[in-house]
Amino acid sequence: MNEELVETLLAFLAQDGCSDAEFDALALRLFAHQHANNAAYRRFCQLRGATPRTVKSWREIPAVPISAFKEVTLSCTPADSAERVFMTSGTTRGDVKGRHYHPTLAVYDASMTRNFARRFMQGVERLPMAILFPNEQEMPNSSLAHYLALAARHFGSGDSAYYVSLQGLDTDGLRALLRNAERSGGPCALLGASYSFVHLLDGLAAVGETFRLPPGSRILDTGGYKGHSRELPLEAFYAGLAATFGVPRERCINMYGMTELSTQLYDDGNVLVPSVKSGPHWIRSRMVDPLTGREVPRGERGILVHCDLANFNSVTSILTEDVGVAVEGGFLLLGRAEGAQAKGCSLAVEEFLQASRS
Amino acid sequence: MNNWTAGHLPGLAEEDVTWQTLSFGEGAQRVSVRVPALQPAQLSALAQHVKEASARQLKRLPVSRIVQIIDAAVTRLLDPRDPYRQEAERLLPTVTGYDAEMVRLGLTGFLQTFRAPQLQRFIAEDFTNPKVLDEFQPAVKGGFVRAFGPDLLVHSWAGNVPALPLWSLACGLLVKAGSIGKLPSAEPVFASLFARLLAELHPPLADCLAIVWWKGGDEAAPAALFQHADTVLAYGGNEAIAQVQRQVPVTTRFLGYGHKLGFGLVARAALDTQRAPATARLAAHDIVRYEQQGCYSPHLFYVERGGKLAPREFAAYLAAELANLQQRFPRRALALEEAATVSGWRQSAEVQALSQQGVELLGADDAAWAVAYSDTPSGLAPTGGGRSILVCAVDALDHAVPLVAPHARFLQTAGIAAEPQELFRLAEALGRVGVTRITALGAMTAPEAGWHHDGRFNLADLVRMVEIEQSAERAADRLAPYAQEERA
Repeated sequence: MNEELVETLLAFLAQDGCSDAEFDALALRLFAHQHANNAAYRRFCQLRGATPRTVKSWREIPAVPISAFKEVTLSCTPADSAERVFMTSGTTRGDVKGRHYHPTLAVYDASMTRNFARRFMQGVERLPMAILFPNEQEMPNSSLAHYLALAARHFGSGDSAYYVSLQGLDTDGLRALLRNAERSGGPCALLGASYSFVHLLDGLAAVGETFRLPPGSRILDTGGYKGHSRELPLEAFYAGLAATFGVPRERCINMYGMTELSTQLYDDGNVLVPSVKSGPHWIRSRMVDPLTGREVPRGERGILVHCDLANFNSVTSILTEDVGVAVEGGFLLLGRAEGAQAKGCSLAVEEFLQASRS
Repeated sequence: MNNWTAGHLPGLAEEDVTWQTLSFGEGAQRVSVRVPALQPAQLSALAQHVKEASARQLKRLPVSRIVQIIDAAVTRLLDPRDPYRQEAERLLPTVTGYDAEMVRLGLTGFLQTFRAPQLQRFIAEDFTNPKVLDEFQPAVKGGFVRAFGPDLLVHSWAGNVPALPLWSLACGLLVKAGSIGKLPSAEPVFASLFARLLAELHPPLADCLAIVWWKGGDEAAPAALFQHADTVLAYGGNEAIAQVQRQVPVTTRFLGYGHKLGFGLVARAALDTQRAPATARLAAHDIVRYEQQGCYSPHLFYVERGGKLAPREFAAYLAAELANLQQRFPRRALALEEAATVSGWRQSAEVQALSQQGVELLGADDAAWAVAYSDTPSGLAPTGGGRSILVCAVDALDHAVPLVAPHARFLQTAGIAAEPQELFRLAEALGRVGVTRITALGAMTAPEAGWHHDGRFNLADLVRMVEIEQSAERAADRLAPYAQEERA
């Protein structure tokens, strides 16, 4: 592991922002590092005729499709020496999991905590947290489990607890907690997978219970439904959260993160959906035409490419399967592109995958 | 901008109907198609109207007359000077996005399978004596038999392969069913044109057929219509079919045609320097026609080792032919989601090529096609479409059979280039695991007249056989005025 690079990176994350030139300089340094130390990535770049000599800005760094995390080892250090490996949940292609190797979690953790403090805590030091996701021991390869563990450790007060285990959602425990929170008058936070919130909303609707959580309470959901719960349109989802928990929609924050990244993006609430997503100064995003890889004109829909400088050991630039459109202050996330429906009568990839899963 | 109105709604006034607009194409090519969004009550009324009219008109026509009428309509559509044909040629490329020349050639080839001789073959395939559709005919086992088509056949079409609704429309007419067809939002043109042309050629038919539309996800409209149907035909993905099926009353006959996945087999006999380029040209044609969106379109070719040319060389020929065809029939513009699927498949092949020996991706980054070659056999799976194809080397074509077998429910067409003995041997093995149509390379996208779609009987599945048993005949004889006392 390149300790000097990690030090530089940690210092960069601690800055109050950066100029375009500073971003480019670090992006290019990381590109040179990854090109030199990651054989699979070097071959990928060769195909595109990109070398540290020809690449002049972060936009030109070849973006690796996230499916590649399933096929090859994208790591600058030996994979078996990684402190932690995060794996994708494998929802898109049977049991083939994408792997993201972290030789140290120092950068991931710094990226998460600094950004989380600003975007979710918004100046509050600690809050009692109810986590709607299994804990890190139950899911050691889940980046989300680690993310939520960091949230609880660094920002949760003593009475924070998990309400989802591998056995399922503890609705009764949550009801007791929410009633207590209502009585206590102090703000609290609910954090978890979007589909867990759908299950909770359904469970509370079944018993006809709603809450008015004290002012300052907030909700963080992430990750969509992924076939774990019924598909709820965004509008209905956030209207449901606001009505059921009494948390205003501007305090219902959605986090957009991926196993293949080391940095998360957030919105500033969901009064309007789809909301505007944005990240800290060490990640930049652009929308491309998937066929040509070229950036689409501003205002047009494209596939999201992120350049995350905290991804120092894998690859900084990844090509997602998400559709977005650039707007003032960030981008709108318009959903996954892979759900392309067959237009003819030939079997589409998506339907085939669904059939082979069932 | 072009405006066009789809649908055919006998007995309903245009002003009583709510219209929705579907937009296709861009710029000067842009076409807005108005489609009727009917209320449940209107659909019920339409169902009654079509049922009554077809009882009065269609059911009384002999099947030979119906063949003549369809043939006359198809003849018109094959005539390049005919206004209906011109309308189809003008609208279909924009609406479907396919290359205009490809649509023109494809339409002509397709329509030729609906001329009178082919329609007769179609009927003969399912009924040894086609007159059973007109009147009671002597049955081989004794007694008499007659085939009755549904009073109301509802078709739920899907997809953008041009003119596909003609299959089921023609089937419905041949069994004298009143028909109501739901237009696919991706191609609302052809069925509308065909219904109008029939009405013009034989005005009494105008009331025996309706072409409607409803928005995907609308539950009230289909539920209202399906109540009146004897038989419902649905095309589409499994989920869409399941959705239709849920709304069909249990006592109504339901026939679903799901999405399929085609593939090809190339034997070493087809792999010498003379034959290989021609074989590759035919395979490329099957890939390009309708951009792999047909149920019969190939996504994978298994190529046998041991010929004069190696499978890898066949892949190179195929790539060259796809490059040629791009000049002649440029690929249709892809929507962002489709482009992402195509490039996702391509990139995944590229990454595999980086990490695995014997995997290669042929074709430049910006080519409008892609051939992935794999030295090791892999299971059948859809590519990203849009002219992306996987070529897999196998030691013997028999090795392909267990690779496709797990996907039985998605099998239909297999294109085969092999010598006769091999053809029949493979056909036996493929038929056993679920393939229903074996065809030549180059013909994968053009099923012949009278084919058994997904292995089913197109017409026989629609009818109800009514039998007069011998006992009834004998008993009647005894009651005839001319009957003589039985002598003991």
